Amino acid sequence: MKNYMILLLALLGLGFYGLGQNKALLYDFSEIPQSLMVNPGVQSDFQWYSGIPALSHVSFQIGSSGVNANSLFANDGLDFNDKVRDRLIFGMSPNDELSGNYQLELINIGFRGKDTGNFYTAGIYHEGDAIGYWFRDYAILAFEGNADRLGQRFDLSHLSTRGEILNVFHFGVNHQWKRNITIGARAKIYSSILNFDSTRNKGFFVTTEGQNNLLASTLDADLRWRTSGINDLKAAEEDGSIASTVLKNGFFGGNLGLGFDLGFTYNLNDQTVLTGSLLDLGFIYHTKDVMNYSLSGSATVEGVQIILPDALSDPNADFWQQLVDDVEQFIPFEDNTKNYITWRPTKLYASIRRDFGEQLPTRANCDCGPYATLGSFRAKYANSFGGQLYMVSRPRGPQAALSAFYLRRLGNFMALKTTYTIDKFSATNIGLALNLQAGPVNMYFMADNLLGYGNLANSQYASFQLGLNIISWGKN
Amino acid sequence: MKLTKQLVVCCSIFFVLLFSCSDSLNFDQADSLVAEPELEASLLYIEAPERIINLATATNFFVQDFNFDAFSSDFFAERVIEGTVTYEVENTTSKELEVTVEFLDESGVILDTEIFAVEAAPTAVLEREIAYGGTGRSIDIIINTSSIRVSAENLGDTMSTSIFPDPKVTLKSKGKFKLSVI
Repeated sequence: MKNYMILLLALLGLGFYGLGQNKALLYDFSEIPQSLMVNPGVQSDFQWYSGIPALSHVSFQIGSSGVNANSLFANDGLDFNDKVRDRLIFGMSPNDELSGNYQLELINIGFRGKDTGNFYTAGIYHEGDAIGYWFRDYAILAFEGNADRLGQRFDLSHLSTRGEILNVFHFGVNHQWKRNITIGARAKIYSSILNFDSTRNKGFFVTTEGQNNLLASTLDADLRWRTSGINDLKAAEEDGSIASTVLKNGFFGGNLGLGFDLGFTYNLNDQTVLTGSLLDLGFIYHTKDVMNYSLSGSATVEGVQIILPDALSDPNADFWQQLVDDVEQFIPFEDNTKNYITWRPTKLYASIRRDFGEQLPTRANCDCGPYATLGSFRAKYANSFGGQLYMVSRPRGPQAALSAFYLRRLGNFMALKTTYTIDKFSATNIGLALNLQAGPVNMYFMADNLLGYGNLANSQYASFQLGLNIISWGKN
Repeated sequence: MKLTKQLVVCCSIFFVLLFSCSDSLNFDQADSLVAEPELEASLLYIEAPERIINLATATNFFVQDFNFDAFSSDFFAERVIEGTVTYEVENTTSKELEVTVEFLDESGVILDTEIFAVEAAPTAVLEREIAYGGTGRSIDIIINTSSIRVSAENLGDTMSTSIFPDPKVTLKSKGKFKLSVI
């Protein structure tokens, strides 16, 4: 039990950020092929690219909207139990969340079609994603109990969590529709390796004055816990076949789903650009290795009650067992293997960008001249600034983040982007991205919340992305 | 030259990131984590109307053992540290009564006895709180309790009736226990 608690505290300490999937630095960074993954309608001028397998995009983001490692584990001389009580149990609200996301691209390629207005992308990436809201009332019950809390309702909806590990197979088309409009779409097949979901819980537990006895305990519960893929992995762990099970389930042997990405880029004029994208508009249908649990019903008990003379009618009556049976009848704990659907966390990006400064010679293979202002591919400017909006669907409603950014291109071999992001969790998130192009070799590094790196233990958010690609513009 | 300088600056920033700082943390503190919730719930309620008492031929008008596995369940028995059992006895009958509550172990051995002598109505509600563990009675009494025996004796007559409406004797009880969860 203590180990689980330590693990929980460690997770909280490391933390997971509520907006863990926000790739504000990568978004609209069109020098990087992976920008197509966050907006399939980005303006790209590549002839083709190929990501280095397993290295073309690695992203890892963790954070916490509540406590951080320092607030619990600092050597500050304070009593650890006081810190847990004040900062964790009562310091965090049920809307504080723990969430995280990682992505590892296995394959990612892109190539221009015969119609040079079309650019196709395809690939596979592996993703893990989880979110859990702070289950405050459960924690209060576990640490403090219900004694001397007459009438206080412990809200069972505080348990809200979901998570998944999956592989995503995708194919996308980026199409320059008109000179000032680029649109894109991507189809995705999800192959789920593992899933758990418990997000629509309701109910309460309350202790009140009893009608007959001193206290009445009422449990009104509608709790559900749905899983898929977990038993397969447990069995695989026992017989030492984890790798083959993960591979099998991750490559169409598990639960499958379908999704889409959409995006566009619209030039309001030569130097002002609107963009938007909608990602992971999709679902997974869980039919294999499904195990669901539920606790649903309502009961009020006042202990064992013996009311004479009725109670004397059966001298062998087991009143305790009757009480237990009644509770189990009114609030049955059940399990089943019914299929279920989960929706992917859909993301929305939008931005407005203003380009200015020197125009850079285009690398695109086109008859559009060194500055490309009249060709089908637009030349890039040395500087860009603007704002970005990010939203993601979460179990308790959408969450948003707003970013301001500045992008600086140093010739065609290096570009830098910095962002300042504000959301309900942080007002000091400054990020920096570096993209380097050495001949055909493209590499990029990105990190968010740079101020947090001064003291990682006191940071509620740490994130990085990096990748390695080979790019051709057809003129290399 | 200018570009090279900028490149050096940028690379330096990322180099610094790789060597970012962190205050020293002491994860051993987690070893001192203690979770001892206090849980509270009703235990037993017994109600005997005066007419039943009057009908009984013996003075000991009620004796019964009740199976009570709440205390002996593994989750509770392995974690309970201390607690209290609170009783309330209310008598609105016209008789003086004596109510006895005994905790028995699995083999029927009496572990603890509590006797309540109540005057005939009108009388105040008799309240009593028994502590177990700590400075109170041994917590082993609670841990080993498998059933509860309740007996009630009529120390008065079997003819009279109370002037109060719905006359009866009731025994209410609740338990409040501290458990060591972590």
